[in-house]
Amino acid sequence: MSTIINGSSPSVTFSDGTTQTTAFTSTPSVTALVNGGNTITVPAVAGTMMVSGNMPAFSVYLSTSQSMTSATNTKVQFNTKLYDTANCFDNTTNYRFTPNVAGYYQFNLKVQTGGTPGDFFCAVQKNGGTEVYRGIRGNTGLSCVTVSTIVYLNGSTDYVEGYVYQTATSINGNTISSGDQSWFNGALIRAA
Amino acid sequence: MNIFDKIKTIYPQLTDADFVPTSGTIFIQNDSDGKGDYIKEWNHPTLAKPTPEQLAAITA
Repeated sequence: MSTIINGSSPSVTFSDGTTQTTAFTSTPSVTALVNGGNTITVPAVAGTMMVSGNMPAFSVYLSTSQSMTSATNTKVQFNTKLYDTANCFDNTTNYRFTPNVAGYYQFNLKVQTGGTPGDFFCAVQKNGGTEVYRGIRGNTGLSCVTVSTIVYLNGSTDYVEGYVYQTATSINGNTISSGDQSWFNGALIRAA
Repeated sequence: MNIFDKIKTIYPQLTDADFVPTSGTIFIQNDSDGKGDYIKEWNHPTLAKPTPEQLAAITA
């Protein structure tokens, strides 16, 4: 069965090849019988039915190490993409994720330094700091810190960035490690 | 000299704890936009936020 919800001709194509064209905004709901006798129901509430093709997801990392100042909350310049399904991550100028679909996004951030800092935090910051989701190192002997969170973004102007804060007296402690040691990823988990 | 060290030069009584994001009262940030470190928030109860002139006067 295939479904087109927001195209110019909304339709549902069933497994036997027949197609039903339906005005989804004016009917209570559409229920289709699929293999095994199960049904799939498309509710008539306002909004967009999400499919995998329009749910932004990204994964980025540092290709080279980045220096930072002790005791300064510093944006991590994630400059290399593993994937960016909707081309919403700016990896050249602002190093931020600005998705084009409104909804609730899961983010995961890990930052590692070359040495062992004193105080050590990382943060997913929304819109320059109007919302801050901070992670703190679990053990003072560790040189990495992580945070995971869910953030609502409006799909147009809202953005998130990854920051790190540490206090270190060594050069290595003031260096953000690259490669698989410092990364940032996220994906839409629920539309608005 | 970075702004963190300049502030500590102006106010030697400050410690690293005053700059910790979760519990401190002074917050320095760098947005990696080429403009360098800056004071994003200054909420110290008794010490005044240094002026740009005070910070510029501190040299290494």
